[in-house]
Amino acid sequence: MAGLELLSDQGYRLDGRRACELRKVQARTSVFAQADGSAYLEQGNTKALAVVYGPHETRGSRSKSLHDRAVINCQYSMATFSTAERKRRPHGDRKSSEMSLHLKQTFEAAVLTELYPRSQIDIYVKILQADGGNYSACVNAATLALVDAGIPMRDYVCACTAGFVEDTPLADLCHAEESGGGTSLALALLPRSGNIALLQMDARLHQDHLDALIEAAMTACKGVSKVLDGVVRQHLEEVSVLTRD
Amino acid sequence: MEGPIMIKTEKVLHLNSSKGRKVRVVREHYVREQVPCGSSLCQADCLNDGKVLSGDVTHYVVPDVGVVRDFLEILEFRELQGIVFTQTAYQSVQHTRGRRHYNRLRALLKDPRHDCVLFANEFQQYCYCPRDKGESQDKWHTRNVYNAAVWYYNHLAGLQPVVMITEDNDAISEFSALNSGVYVISTREYLLSFWPDLQAAHDLYNSIAQTLQERESEGVEKVYTEHLPAEVLEAGIKSGRYIQGILSVNKHRAQNEAFVRYEGSASKNTELNSDVLINGAKLRNRAVHGDMVVIELLPRNEWKGRTMALTEGQGEEQPLEETQSQPMPSGRVVGILQRNWRDYVVTFPPLEEVQSQSRNSQKILVIPWDYRIPKIRISTQQAEALQDQRVIVRLDSWESTSVYPSGHCVRVLGKAGELETEIQTILLENCIHVPPFSEAQMCYYKKMPVNTEENRWQMASSEVSSRRDLRDTHLVFSIDPKGCEDVDDTLSVRTLPGGKRLELGVHIADVTYFVREGSLTDLEARSRATTYYLADRRYDMLPAVLSADLCSLLGGVDRYAMSVLWELDAETLDVCTVWYGRTLIRSSYQLHYELAQSLLNGEEVEVPELSQLKGSQRDQKLAKLLQALETLTRVARHLRAQRDKGGALELEGVEVRAQLDEEKNITALVPKQPLEVHETVAECMIYANHWVARKIQESFPHQALLRHHPPPKQDFFNHLIDCAKARGFSIDTRSNRALADSLEQAVDPQDPLVNRLLRMMATQAMSNALYFSTGACPEEQYYHYGLALDRYTHFTSPIRRYADVLVHRLLIAAIQLEKEGSLSKPLASNKELEELAQHINNKNRVMKLQDKDSKTDERCVADAVIYAVRANGFLAFIPQYGVKGAVYLKDREGQVVSVDGDGRCEWKAGTLQRYPDRISSCTSTGTHTFYLFSHVTVRISVEPSRCHADSLCLELVSNKPHCPVQPESQPAGRGRSELVQEVVRRAEEASLQAERGRKPKLSREERQFRQSRTPNLYVLLQEISELALLDLSVCQITNTEEQTCTASS
Repeated sequence: MAGLELLSDQGYRLDGRRACELRKVQARTSVFAQADGSAYLEQGNTKALAVVYGPHETRGSRSKSLHDRAVINCQYSMATFSTAERKRRPHGDRKSSEMSLHLKQTFEAAVLTELYPRSQIDIYVKILQADGGNYSACVNAATLALVDAGIPMRDYVCACTAGFVEDTPLADLCHAEESGGGTSLALALLPRSGNIALLQMDARLHQDHLDALIEAAMTACKGVSKVLDGVVRQHLEEVSVLTRD
Repeated sequence: MEGPIMIKTEKVLHLNSSKGRKVRVVREHYVREQVPCGSSLCQADCLNDGKVLSGDVTHYVVPDVGVVRDFLEILEFRELQGIVFTQTAYQSVQHTRGRRHYNRLRALLKDPRHDCVLFANEFQQYCYCPRDKGESQDKWHTRNVYNAAVWYYNHLAGLQPVVMITEDNDAISEFSALNSGVYVISTREYLLSFWPDLQAAHDLYNSIAQTLQERESEGVEKVYTEHLPAEVLEAGIKSGRYIQGILSVNKHRAQNEAFVRYEGSASKNTELNSDVLINGAKLRNRAVHGDMVVIELLPRNEWKGRTMALTEGQGEEQPLEETQSQPMPSGRVVGILQRNWRDYVVTFPPLEEVQSQSRNSQKILVIPWDYRIPKIRISTQQAEALQDQRVIVRLDSWESTSVYPSGHCVRVLGKAGELETEIQTILLENCIHVPPFSEAQMCYYKKMPVNTEENRWQMASSEVSSRRDLRDTHLVFSIDPKGCEDVDDTLSVRTLPGGKRLELGVHIADVTYFVREGSLTDLEARSRATTYYLADRRYDMLPAVLSADLCSLLGGVDRYAMSVLWELDAETLDVCTVWYGRTLIRSSYQLHYELAQSLLNGEEVEVPELSQLKGSQRDQKLAKLLQALETLTRVARHLRAQRDKGGALELEGVEVRAQLDEEKNITALVPKQPLEVHETVAECMIYANHWVARKIQESFPHQALLRHHPPPKQDFFNHLIDCAKARGFSIDTRSNRALADSLEQAVDPQDPLVNRLLRMMATQAMSNALYFSTGACPEEQYYHYGLALDRYTHFTSPIRRYADVLVHRLLIAAIQLEKEGSLSKPLASNKELEELAQHINNKNRVMKLQDKDSKTDERCVADAVIYAVRANGFLAFIPQYGVKGAVYLKDREGQVVSVDGDGRCEWKAGTLQRYPDRISSCTSTGTHTFYLFSHVTVRISVEPSRCHADSLCLELVSNKPHCPVQPESQPAGRGRSELVQEVVRRAEEASLQAERGRKPKLSREERQFRQSRTPNLYVLLQEISELALLDLSVCQITNTEEQTCTASS
């Protein structure tokens, strides 16, 4: 069968977006009362729930704690119903532990951990529906949850993927585009400073195109950061209205 | 997020998962208000870039999904204008009709000559309607298309009536009543009311409609096994269980033998590096010549060998077990990845046969012109009218229930056997479509400079000042075949002041000045890609005003040129500096090869340019010219020697030129005599090509168009090595250097033909040289094997080859880059270039094959050399005409040839015995043995055929070499020569009449039609597949790269 045409001759992608357009991003914070911070985020059809506990005393063995900063503990999981086919997902398989590690690295770069020595911050993220860009949805949701928990950070961490089709960078890939076999680059950015918290790419790409691709991903991340900022401000307004009385 | 407002919706799809289960998938679907409509009548400021529908048509037409899917061919008529393809229909074609059909639609949309656009209706907020619960897909699609049509009408504020055409009668009754300014009618009605005069479209419509109807009422009995689904094939290829390759059918045993050649990397399995045999129609399982198929190897005990016997004609197939070769890998087709169907020329059978077939329905089996294509089933009601006509047919499908594929008629070419029909047939069978230059293009040319008696073309003063002027400083001349009109290269050589340095110059016609990138001329030239040469005519790539006049570097007139100038050391001839750039030249002499050679030989000849002059002035000029020629020869010898050191190959090709007498009849076929001056010119051209290749590759390391010649596969040389061994020579094929050296030594002093034959065989073993973009290939693959150069490209014939035009543009960009450090506009990206390279490669291959076809000409009794031995005969090469053919030693009754005392041959009962290097016939009168490379005399005759091309038939006359005294055997081979003469004569008349009106001063007598047919042979080598089936092929021996340049100069 003829392969899917990811980018039509007129510049439309499969779902009707143009090359640099993001999917619709919607988010809500403080969705759980019992956690210190929580957020629910939809990036297109990818839906993620993030919950933050902490900072609190190190649980379990004391040896893990660090004397000069907080330990960040991340756990990533996918719901059994998150993909088209229902599938049992055991805890701690290779893919999710790798993702957990990536999340941990990302947030270690953003959270001011040195303010909380000998303590621990737990970030739990669950993908409720997977439609491409799981990592970026997790990062964006976790950022909001951290903000909600009141944990000091250098900046929002915004993440987005970018792909490369027919010499054109595509921002924010959906599942069909990701599984199309092309290159996919995931980037987590601290938008105000322009520092990159994490950059990951699995497929091969000609060196000449790398700059263009990173540029596209960074622009997309900045777009995401605006949305997140709006969500946080709106939440703040709502909360302040409630607490005024 | 800024930007247009999009609304997110969701689409639910049901797809098959990789395990074959049904999966429900939810996809996002964004719709927006701003979608470009692509019409010049747009009132809403849509961002229409690219192609736009013209406003001056009577209506716009929106075809429904079913129409686009089944009747796309009708929409391809250029007369139909203002077509709006909806995205719904576009995607449906992609999903249901496969890639080929889809690509045709894409090409149609890209082609600026067709007035049609794609409207992305599904992304338009007000056009898109989600699928209702329980609504069938077809209904939903139709509803979407109708909505789009209505939107389109309203969007253009009712300025243009919109017609929706559909094959769905329910839709017509449902929507036409809505009365919203959009007319919904059926395709038939549409054609009848809007295009009543377009008879071709009506016929095509009827033909397709009938075929569709027939297909619904098919039988159910399976003849072939089903093909496997695509996922299974893909998995099988990955795991190595199946093999993917292109099917090629043996021309001479089309029903039985076909081979599959591996595709590139699939040949990891070293044991199986030869072709895979597909024996019989059952195992071939509906694959047609050229298809990309997936095969499964049979178990070893079912492997068969290829038939070694020569077969006479087609059709009668007697399994001759004892004549098979070693069993070779055999397989069966399990699936087809990609059909490669094109238009086929077929002949309708005579009426009596038709009647027996068409008892039950209007189905007729027609016979394709190409032997390799199976008979095609066609339903038509015009069988009587079409008998003995040649017709173009397209294949539609080949169900597993049908023995033959079914197709439909497209167009009638004419009566079989008529000259015009036959030439059209040859062109079509080689996929060459050359309509005359269109009106729009002609209008465009009117704006271009003209050059007539009263209105001389002048050079623009801005050009004169920006170019380097060589008109007074350099002695420029051209050397070409006699009567050549399109002179695209000239030469100059001079000693620089001081005498220490020589300056060699190659000046090429500056086509890119006249053909701007993206103009209509450019697009047309790009799709034609080359000039096609036939025996009696040619199809130009550029219109005549350019190719024969303004671009052509004729003698005595000022012309624009692209030049490469080298400063060489006068002693060592090493390159000191190179200069590239645009120049002005005036060619002083327009020489032809024979004249130049005579001048070099010191003979007294008349140079036309000097005939006006007298005495000392003339001698002085002649001496100057002579000196230039001599210097040129010296430089060329040096260059050649240098390339020889690197291992350049000299390969053999025979070229035949038709000699025409006063009445334009072919009097004789003369093999072309190689002259040294050919080589001199060729060498200079190769040198220019090489240096230009260096320049553009250095400037654009990732996007330069070069030409490489991959080293041949070693096993292709086996035949050559075996043959040489029979004569006691050993051939070393490890490198091009070794091969060149060993070929040099393999000379039989008594028989110069042996060396030529060996060289020809080496030529056949070579792979084709190809264009490529440097970004697409690792650097070590740039090498040109045949010429022994690390980089090579085509630069010297921009009038005839589109590749050269591209290279010119690159070179200009490179010069600009050097001067200004920036480019005025972006170059074609690597990918585009690679696509173009592929396109040109295809066109060139096509041209070469076509050339071969038109060149079957022969005469009676001739000397022949045996070059291969088969079970019931041998293959012979006839040097006089450069043709090859099979000679049978055993006829159908089983009698064999016997030779009596004085060499005469007779048919007698006896047996044949075949050895690797000889074949013996054993009869009552004694045994006679034919060895490889021995000379025999054969009689050539033509076997006429109704459906196919006439074939050549060789008959052994004597085992002695043919004596050169021509016996009175003239009439024997008349059939073909008459035809060819007829061909040439008529075309000559036609062109004479046409020419007389326009350019009365050209002396047509001097024009020789084969004059410049060589350049199209520059792709050196015969198709490799020919080698695999090295049999009866009346193959023409192609040329070497250097000879190409000879002719192109």
